[in-house]
Amino acid sequence: MELADRAVGFLLSFISLSIFIYYTFWVIILPFVDDDHFVHKYFLPQEYAILIPVSAGVALLCFLCIFIGFVMLKSKKKKA
Amino acid sequence: MKHIVKILTLVVAITVLWVGLLQTSIIPCSHTWLLPVYFVVSLGCYGLLMVGVGLMNFPTCPQEAVLLHKDIVEAKEYLKLKGVDVSSSYLL
Repeated sequence: MELADRAVGFLLSFISLSIFIYYTFWVIILPFVDDDHFVHKYFLPQEYAILIPVSAGVALLCFLCIFIGFVMLKSKKKKA
Repeated sequence: MKHIVKILTLVVAITVLWVGLLQTSIIPCSHTWLLPVYFVVSLGCYGLLMVGVGLMNFPTCPQEAVLLHKDIVEAKEYLKLKGVDVSSSYLL
């Protein structure tokens, strides 16, 4: 149990660090690299840098709202 | 109260910097528009990292668990002697 928690924690930190490094490269450093440089092959076009986070945020918000709604329904049923 | 002042100052400073960048247009406009999204993403990454680090360094104390278990058994016996019913399952 303890080992599993530790592994999950390590995985979470690893994922967040890799996302942060990749996104920093994508948004901050890539505009200063020449357009025909080979690094551009590994990154999506610039407009996806807005599109993906916004869609992920909207999906997260929807999930949160659905979850809260389910919890409220459940608690109301328990009371009745 | 002090913490929120610090955070608000940081937010205002970042906003001022961003508006300044937008006005002076040192960097192309399309890249300046990416900056708030970048800050939101980095904030999310920071939160996830803190959760991961907290989960990794979560303190567990097995000795204390054993001691607590002993205490519970002792208290149950004591209460049974006094005639209090503690047989409900949520304690153990």
